[in-house]
Amino acid sequence: MLRQPLTRALALSSPARAAPLAVRRYAEIAPQPDKVEVFIDDKPVYVPPGTTVLQAAAQVGVEIPRFCYHERLAVAGNCRMCLVEVEKSPKPVAACAMPVMKGMRVKTNSDLTRKAREGVMEFLLVNHPLDCPICDQGGECDLQDQSMAFGSDKSRFTDIHFSGKRAVEDKDVGPLIKTIMTRCIHCTRCIRFASEVAGVDDLGTTGRGTDMQVGTYVEKMFLSELSGNIIDLCPVGALTSKPYSFAARPWETRRIDSVDVLDPLGSNIVVSTRTNEVLRILPRTNEEINEEWLSDKSRFACDGLKRQRLVTPLMADSRGNLTPVDWEDAVVAAARALRDCPPDKLLAVAGDMADAESLVALKDLLNRLGSENACTEQYFPLEGAGIDLRSTYLLNTGIANVEDADFVLLIGTNVRFEAPLLNTRIRKAFIHKDTDVALIGPKVDLTYDYVHVGESASIVKDLASGTSAHEVLRKLEQAKRPVVILGADQLKTQEGAALLAYTQELALRLQDKLEDKNWKVLNVLQRTASQVAALDIGYKPGVGALLSAGPQVVYLLGADSGVVTRESLPKDAVVIYQGHHGDAGAAIADVVLPGAAYTEKRATYVNAEGRAQQTLPAVTPPGQAREDWKIIRAISEVVGVRLPYDNLDEVRDRLSQISPALVTYGDVQNNNYFAQARALAQSLQKPVSGNLDVKLKTLEDYFMTDAISRASPTMAKCVQAVLKQKQSTY
Amino acid sequence: MLSSLRSGVQGLWRVSSRALQTTTNLQHDSLFVHRDTPEDNPSIPFEFTPENNKRVEALLAIYPEGHKRAAMIPLLDLAQRQNGGWLPISAMHKVAEILKLPRMRVYEVATFYTMFIRRPIGKYHVQVCTTTPCWLRGSDAVLNAIKEATGCEVGGNSPCGKFSLSEVECLGACVNAPMVQVNDDYYEDLTVDDTKEIIEKLKRDEKPKPGPRSGRYASEPLGGLTSLTEEPTGPGFGLQDALKA
Amino acid sequence: MAAKETVKTICRNARPVMSSDLTEARRRALGLYRAFYRYIPYIIKYFDIPKNEQDCRCKLREYFYKHACVTDVRVIDILVIKGYMELKEVTHLWQQKGHVMSHWNPSAEPKPCDFLGKFLAGMD
Repeated sequence: MLRQPLTRALALSSPARAAPLAVRRYAEIAPQPDKVEVFIDDKPVYVPPGTTVLQAAAQVGVEIPRFCYHERLAVAGNCRMCLVEVEKSPKPVAACAMPVMKGMRVKTNSDLTRKAREGVMEFLLVNHPLDCPICDQGGECDLQDQSMAFGSDKSRFTDIHFSGKRAVEDKDVGPLIKTIMTRCIHCTRCIRFASEVAGVDDLGTTGRGTDMQVGTYVEKMFLSELSGNIIDLCPVGALTSKPYSFAARPWETRRIDSVDVLDPLGSNIVVSTRTNEVLRILPRTNEEINEEWLSDKSRFACDGLKRQRLVTPLMADSRGNLTPVDWEDAVVAAARALRDCPPDKLLAVAGDMADAESLVALKDLLNRLGSENACTEQYFPLEGAGIDLRSTYLLNTGIANVEDADFVLLIGTNVRFEAPLLNTRIRKAFIHKDTDVALIGPKVDLTYDYVHVGESASIVKDLASGTSAHEVLRKLEQAKRPVVILGADQLKTQEGAALLAYTQELALRLQDKLEDKNWKVLNVLQRTASQVAALDIGYKPGVGALLSAGPQVVYLLGADSGVVTRESLPKDAVVIYQGHHGDAGAAIADVVLPGAAYTEKRATYVNAEGRAQQTLPAVTPPGQAREDWKIIRAISEVVGVRLPYDNLDEVRDRLSQISPALVTYGDVQNNNYFAQARALAQSLQKPVSGNLDVKLKTLEDYFMTDAISRASPTMAKCVQAVLKQKQSTY
Repeated sequence: MLSSLRSGVQGLWRVSSRALQTTTNLQHDSLFVHRDTPEDNPSIPFEFTPENNKRVEALLAIYPEGHKRAAMIPLLDLAQRQNGGWLPISAMHKVAEILKLPRMRVYEVATFYTMFIRRPIGKYHVQVCTTTPCWLRGSDAVLNAIKEATGCEVGGNSPCGKFSLSEVECLGACVNAPMVQVNDDYYEDLTVDDTKEIIEKLKRDEKPKPGPRSGRYASEPLGGLTSLTEEPTGPGFGLQDALKA
Repeated sequence: MAAKETVKTICRNARPVMSSDLTEARRRALGLYRAFYRYIPYIIKYFDIPKNEQDCRCKLREYFYKHACVTDVRVIDILVIKGYMELKEVTHLWQQKGHVMSHWNPSAEPKPCDFLGKFLAGMD
């Protein structure tokens, strides 16, 4: 959209829509062709041939208005708003589609240009309803802004009583997107997004001329996990957010930059709030992670933050019912349980949305009580290098660099739903770079074609040993920049360690042969936002053995995925649950301590590629909920093992003692010691026989995966809508 | 006196503001979204007949690998012909399946071209040209005659279901105006009687002879040539003497 | 020498609020004390507070002794003015019973300053 800085347009040297080279460390730097000189408003600028007039103008800081042009989508050139005058050209030209030519003199502010813009704007407004006061886009509408800036100051439209404006019936594209198609100006951004980025070709134009409409032709939901982005792309109010409809105006809201925690990528977001209420979540541009997209769960699950919340401390009364109590009572009860428990009978389990601060506080508390039993819900094999080498559990290639891969092998992961924005990178590579993709695991729809190698884990073994007869092995070995991505879900089985060992063996064997010594092949895609930070801090992955040892006191830090159940615990075990949602964890707890969700605290999260980022408090925690690390710190004082930090800075000092990577916000460390990990894993290469399976197979599995999205009515509606769509014949 | 003057002026003003209006916004007579009906819904299967399957293969063979989607219009046309002159949604799905394209891409093409008809129509699709030359030569009378003979309204089907009537823009036979097109055939130089006769024959499923009804062979002048009547001149005609060999 | 000049300048520049010297300020303070003291029976009567005259006198004395250490004439004057304002609010019944009683039972609790106290109170 126009409001976003145009500097991004500069970085794109060619029409291939890729992240700026500065971000992609491994991008091939082609020899720079001779630059051509063009003059934008008599200002000379040197640009590579093939640059469009619009991009060249952006380089000298001249903004040309546009509706259909978008840096990350194909050029359509159908809105005509970017018309500019070019000297010696008889007619104005569309700047977004016109490549520069040597010595071209472009006039972006001449009479002709202004008149052309005014004319285009007039034509657009002839059929655009004047319903800005009741339009949700009002205040952030490109058409509004540009008609103020470039439109005529008077109207010649007198036709309203006779033939009226074009009216188009609204479409039903699911519970997330509200369509008011009369407002559509046919820029086709949504169509291009659907077919290029989302890979779901459900949108298109039907009819022609005045009767043309954008839609699905048949009654069909827009079945994509990235559908929300077309709301941002729409320059007018034709596509708006259904959950946010008629909720607020942009100038009433406060916007706080934050980080998403509902998937392992840590997409950057902006949280819009008003009167201490999260109204909506929008993506924030970060070329290295989410570009400017956001997945639907991250965007629309925010209404789950208002429901099912724990707002007061609770304790089980004599009949086992949780009843509200004071913080003092709850903290004292939790502290007494911790103090009276023998250290080896103590167990702490961290869930999928725990932040690094609370993780380190909980681990410190446990250590001070003499226990080492701090673990996470997700398992990761401890044999071999285990979690000692950071490179064994990270997405080493980096999210942005996946774009540069020429072969991607996915092992037991459905990237599309486990990390939707990583999938868009792979799709981008698939489309623009002819990258081949192969998948070992169940057949799923990844939105692009791939070679399905099989479901058996033994395929990985064959590939690792180089004995496989499959063509994928040859392709992998020939690839200059292969990427191997292993889903972390596969590692919790008995054969997990062997599978990881084989994957390491395969990846490192490929990496050794590469010309580019900096290219990393091995990737493990974690499933949750907390796992990397937890492993960095030294949590033991998986509760298995510790749980079967029969712990007396279990401290659940937002552990809601159902790994710890009442049945798996001894009868007299005390369960302390700290978290923000009344979900599986709180249901089995004896003491419930209400914590803050990610929009309510300043907290550190480390994403799957090992990049530390922080969330900022957008709203205050509801009721008596408190920031998580403070709860643990308070308990520690009552237990009598006071943790030596009183404020956030001191906690972060402690974090940096453990690993400086945890507090270098926005940066990702270069990972090493691959060879050592490989050597340690040699002995683990045992035969594997099982089949790989993934949890999230189709779209309806995607929407509700954690405490927040399970509490979200919008996500529930999405599941219903997808299931209904499956019944349909379209 | 004064009030009547004012109302007169107001009337004038109304007229002049009305004058800014040119024509009403013409909306297309077909719908650009799909609605399931008993006759047209995706659960009605559509398959190409064995002969047509051969044609499909032949059509696909024309286009090089990677550009097979260019066969979309011929395939849609084939499907429309097979299905009695209109294109059901399941036929579009079938074409998408053959071309391995998203269904939306087929819907786009099928809705763009007006010759793809997406509602059930009669066996004989009568298209009457009412553009200026035909209109000047009496297409209104022809249209009314067809309406009367078939019982169709413009854009509708006849009660017997055999006919469909459309008003169309210039079909490029202006020299033989007025004209109608029935399915693939042109009937030109029509009078009301000619029209009635054609419809009567169609009702009996006989095929009237296509072409001009005025006795012309094609578009030559009706009463013999009016120009170029003299003998054509030979080579070297009008050449200056100096250049003659 | 210079310092003395400065002090002089400041003294000259600092305009008196009401009193020109300490004696006058003392007289005004005593006047306020007396006015309050004499109004105490009416306070008890009009506000119907569960305190006797002796309690009120103690409270009054307590407030005056609280500022016993103030020697700046201007500060004393301001305090006296504030005292008269308070008195006027009481005599005109602009204050209610609760306001008067809050002298014995303050409603604002002191803010906790240790971590646990802050945590339990929900304050940062």
